Amino acid sequence: MKFRPLVASVTLVTAATLILSGCAGQSGNANSGGSGAAGATLTLGSVSNITSFDPAQAHLGHQMPIYQAAYDTLILREPDGTLSPMLATEWKYNADNTVLTVDLRDDVTFSDGAKFDAEAAKANLDHFLEANGPDANQAKSVESVAVVDEDTIDITLSAADPAMTYYLSQAPGLMGSPKALGSDGIKTAPIGSGPYVLDPASSVNGSQFTFTKNDKYWNKDLQKYGKVVFKILTDTTARANAAVSGQVDAVLLDPTTTQQADKAGLKKTAYPVDWQGLLLFDRGGAVAPELEDVRVRQAINYALDRKTMLEELQHGEGEATAQVFGKTTDAYIPALDDAYPYDPAKAKQLLADAGYPDGFTISLPMLPGTESILAMVKQQLADVGITVDLATSPQATYVSDIIAGKFPVAWFSIFQGEPWVAIRQMITTDAAYNPFKTTDPGLQADIDAVQTGGEESGKLAQKVNQYVTDEAWFAPFYRVNQLYYTNPKKVTVVPQVQQAVPNLYNYTPAS
Amino acid sequence: MLTFILKRLLAGVTVLIAISVATFFLLYFSSSNIARNILGEFATQDQIVAKEHELGLDQPLFSRFLQWAGRAVTGDLGTAWITNQPVAQSLALRLPVTLTLVIVSIIGIAIIATLIGIAAAVQRGWIDRVVQVAAVIGEAIPEFVLAIALVTIFAIQLGWFPATSSIQPGLLDAAWIASLTLPVIAIVLNGLTSSAQQIRSAVIAQLEKDYVRTLRSRGIPEPVILFKHVLRSAAPAGLTVLSLRFIGMLGGVVIIEQIFALPGMGALAVQSTTLGDTPLVMGVVLYTVIIVIIVNLLVDLANGWLNPKVRVS
Repeated sequence: MKFRPLVASVTLVTAATLILSGCAGQSGNANSGGSGAAGATLTLGSVSNITSFDPAQAHLGHQMPIYQAAYDTLILREPDGTLSPMLATEWKYNADNTVLTVDLRDDVTFSDGAKFDAEAAKANLDHFLEANGPDANQAKSVESVAVVDEDTIDITLSAADPAMTYYLSQAPGLMGSPKALGSDGIKTAPIGSGPYVLDPASSVNGSQFTFTKNDKYWNKDLQKYGKVVFKILTDTTARANAAVSGQVDAVLLDPTTTQQADKAGLKKTAYPVDWQGLLLFDRGGAVAPELEDVRVRQAINYALDRKTMLEELQHGEGEATAQVFGKTTDAYIPALDDAYPYDPAKAKQLLADAGYPDGFTISLPMLPGTESILAMVKQQLADVGITVDLATSPQATYVSDIIAGKFPVAWFSIFQGEPWVAIRQMITTDAAYNPFKTTDPGLQADIDAVQTGGEESGKLAQKVNQYVTDEAWFAPFYRVNQLYYTNPKKVTVVPQVQQAVPNLYNYTPAS
Repeated sequence: MLTFILKRLLAGVTVLIAISVATFFLLYFSSSNIARNILGEFATQDQIVAKEHELGLDQPLFSRFLQWAGRAVTGDLGTAWITNQPVAQSLALRLPVTLTLVIVSIIGIAIIATLIGIAAAVQRGWIDRVVQVAAVIGEAIPEFVLAIALVTIFAIQLGWFPATSSIQPGLLDAAWIASLTLPVIAIVLNGLTSSAQQIRSAVIAQLEKDYVRTLRSRGIPEPVILFKHVLRSAAPAGLTVLSLRFIGMLGGVVIIEQIFALPGMGALAVQSTTLGDTPLVMGVVLYTVIIVIIVNLLVDLANGWLNPKVRVS
């Protein structure tokens, strides 16, 4: 033949790329090269993008490490969940747990030169309360913040909040420069006192954020890298490919992609975070009258073959359970994991006792991606006589529909946090995942005890756990393992309890 | 010629306005949960009302459109609701990525497909049959399957190319070229054979015309007939095929961008549409429509240049 397509194409593609990329360039100064900062580079694959660098608009969880690169929090949460000093050196409640006095460091400056002090901390908390960010509910109990002296603030609460110190290690605790708070600039370029500063020239929102070492950082122990790069990889396959081919040092994967990562010799760290299962919202029988009877709700629990579900749906990555409180919390009661062993005969008996010997029909919304989970649920409930109607529900409206109480029952995956956090997210009458606002005087008394229990509140939450399990408010399947993969040649990581991904401080270069 | 261009531009602006109006009003239905999506599941009703006010969602739809359009005319596309970035800035970063991908791919397809198409038309025989069969297979195998196969072999097994993008838009470097190679090959492989097949048909149609016989009878060398006369007459058909493919690619690269984590327009369009981020979606739509209009205009001009008859009609 007269021509060789392959050679021609390669030459052409290369040539055209060269020309085009020249024309395309409009941003990007050439100052992104070596900044001179010594130390290794950490490249993390992030599951989700950041919406705003304004600390008050932070939604932690998957985005935690990105904010931690730029911002310090008042309190540091250790890998095991204990709270340690960070920008706050000490904190103490008054007698009725409604005023939290916080002592602050006096040797910290923000990257724009502003000083961190009591005024700055107050400005941040006030900004958080006003800004109406995604995690604003965490500061719901904060009534006011007062400057006591240069390095002390008083946080006054409208009612006791046992999770307040935990929240100060989360979004409400992120401290940005008071000069930049509320400006447009801080939305796209963070200004904090954190261990790293954003390099805007090497960052593209939605694709990659590059941070370089903050040379003036006050705590060198937390600053183990010269450069930290976050690659936003929302697609699981892309994430796995990036990890396997060595483009990123650590990522969160799911059971569909782990085989590839295992084969490539990546190190797996598995730890349970979320629980998945059915939320039996309509305990008052407003929409589905059958659910008002506790025996029906228990029957649903007995009908589930959790061990098989775990094997089939999660490749065994997790722990079967019938309780909604996490293993790493004080509210956890080991025996409740087996509160409802698989027993279809008992389920049928309970349904018959409740007056439904021939079963009944309930409808369940189906979120895209949960088809196989719900197919199995449908099968298992059909085995005891309950017919499940599955209706596809679009992702964009699923959560808002649930919160609005449009469904009597729904599948969900819920974060297992500190007891008070968990209670407020799914058990109190104002909880998002208690849309029908069901409650009971006894339960309310137990909840109040947790709220005002101070140091004891975690233990007191066991009574709440026992109640909602006995009353079958939920039908949990299992706690799902987070499957975190790291390249053992490059990085060592300590997992973080109750958190989607480890804190940024938990990574160290592999020696 | 000038009136021809002006007419085309006028038509383009009309299309642009029509599509903007339609998109804006259609988005109204998908953005009903936008405040909740931004604020998360624990937001209270008060928070949501405040957010909706901040975004202007409590105003009548029509006045919202007028406000948006009034600013858009001056080039201000507003700020994205979800990422808080100016829309124009987001697009300026992402457009080059998608355009580079699409333009490089279309040039690759154009040249290779033309060569293969001519070869198949002139030589017939086995080349022709291979092209015919490959066209069917090529169209049948989706881009993403090719892309995944390429990633598995060349990025993961052999490690020759990065598995996901290392793109720094605006910076010309080896990393960008390496990042683009696999996606471009996947797109080219997918579009190549069917385009070649269509060019082949166009060339064959010309070869059967009387003028070719006349030229041959005068003893004009075969390569001159082929490249000077036949190709010129067959080009309009080829251009149309390629322009359609180009326009199709603007939407089709979404999956490729996803697989290779390329920060292009596709990913932006998908994210912003599912979340109902009106300003961003409108920006993506406007830019895409403008590109389509420009491409069509260029193809018309090229056709006019190649074939004077078009200009007259």
